[in-house]
Amino acid sequence: MDRLLNIDRRIIFIFVLLGVAIPLLIDIHLPIKPTPTVRAVYDEIERVSIEDPDRPVLVSFSYGASTMPEMEPMTRSILHHLFSRGRKVVGICLWPEAVGLAQPIMDELAAEFGMKYGTDYAFLGYKPGAQAVVLNLGQSMAGTFPFDTAGTPVGDLPILAKVQNLKDFSFVFDFAAGDSMEFWWIPYGQEKHRFPFAGGCTAVMAPDLYPFLQSRQLVGLLGGLAGAAEYEALIGVSGSATSGMEPQSVTHVIIILFILLGNTVYFTTRRRGGKA
Amino acid sequence: MLFLTRTLPFLFCFVFGMTGWVIYYVPHEWAQTVEREIALWLRLVYAFAYFLGLFSLLSLHWSKIRQRQAGWAYSLIVYISFGVMTLFVVYNDGHGPFAAQATTGPYQWMFTSVHVASSATMFSMLAFFISSAAYRTFRARTPEAAILLVSAIIVMLGRVPIGAYISDIIPDTMQWLMSVPNMAAKRGILLGVSLGAIATSLRIIFGIERSYLGGGD
Repeated sequence: MDRLLNIDRRIIFIFVLLGVAIPLLIDIHLPIKPTPTVRAVYDEIERVSIEDPDRPVLVSFSYGASTMPEMEPMTRSILHHLFSRGRKVVGICLWPEAVGLAQPIMDELAAEFGMKYGTDYAFLGYKPGAQAVVLNLGQSMAGTFPFDTAGTPVGDLPILAKVQNLKDFSFVFDFAAGDSMEFWWIPYGQEKHRFPFAGGCTAVMAPDLYPFLQSRQLVGLLGGLAGAAEYEALIGVSGSATSGMEPQSVTHVIIILFILLGNTVYFTTRRRGGKA
Repeated sequence: MLFLTRTLPFLFCFVFGMTGWVIYYVPHEWAQTVEREIALWLRLVYAFAYFLGLFSLLSLHWSKIRQRQAGWAYSLIVYISFGVMTLFVVYNDGHGPFAAQATTGPYQWMFTSVHVASSATMFSMLAFFISSAAYRTFRARTPEAAILLVSAIIVMLGRVPIGAYISDIIPDTMQWLMSVPNMAAKRGILLGVSLGAIATSLRIIFGIERSYLGGGD
């Protein structure tokens, strides 16, 4: 029993490795059921596409390379949905690393849907300042981001011709790997200017954001790879999040089995009066 | 000297603290102009903080190299990586440092193939360590721990499709756990943290808390 309690961690690592690798090689089809928080984002994009089709959507990228496996699938699925509905999209970055990660995805998906740069979408790059950037965006778009990443003045971009500040966007979405939603966008953006706001974040952050869902400061939320997979199911696209759900499911089961095993061994040892 | 090291920073803190607080709630045009200017200055401070961070990083690793401390070779790698990436940024795929950042070329290759890949790998390795830690430490020693354990298992199953595959009750229970007990706890924590932040801010603005000025009091 003691040997089981002090099992070599490399054995656990091997099980986790197999739990990830085998489902990637063998197709195990598991149905994905979208949760209400994810469906709310989908419904909001559908709503603004019908009720407010002229004003552009602002997407903010606040993530870095380490969280890319979780954040990239949701970036793709949200942009896919927006472009498929013909929405004009303006992208900004509040994390410096996000420029190199988000811009290629935006360009790729825009090309797939025949969107024209400057008219249908624009990418304004990164500005330092965190919440100060959001505060400035609430006052002046061109004052905060005077140029796009190619050096074009934003005044020359038709997509931003009627945009003065945050109030002129029909919907704002933040891809967050840090605290940008609760400490930057909600207090200095959404709460001041009252625009429809939703976000996508890493799985570990999602529980922190539930109070903002109930207060409706967040319309909806995509949490981690599971949130992205649910969104892919809603838009009918099977991407990397959907294929990632099978290894994640098996790995979760393996971890649960190990926890149950650990508890069984612990209580058996304790009942026998052993050291646990 | 006391004026420059103590009084002036305190005055700046008081004036900008009070101004930032009051103008947030004032929609008048002049207040908005002041807010815009303060936010702009804040962004400039942020930008300079990058230089400070860079200086701190390089000086720390330089002292490790100079004193041949344990693991100094890693510090050398920091310098080499920094130098190589700076060169590639300046080269900018042949466009030079003053053109817009090229979306192709050696900098992009290094960013995507080295930085992104290694960062994502480091983050992914957490899954292995969490699994091992969960096996060793997640014990139902008390009734509270048992509730936590059961909740964790429901959330872990409910967040992935296998939960719904087993039973629809699992994702529904997971959703309830997240929307009711989790949200209540998070809201309590958030309110507590916010009240603490307000109290600390007021102490700093009114000069009760002065440790940020240095000097040990």
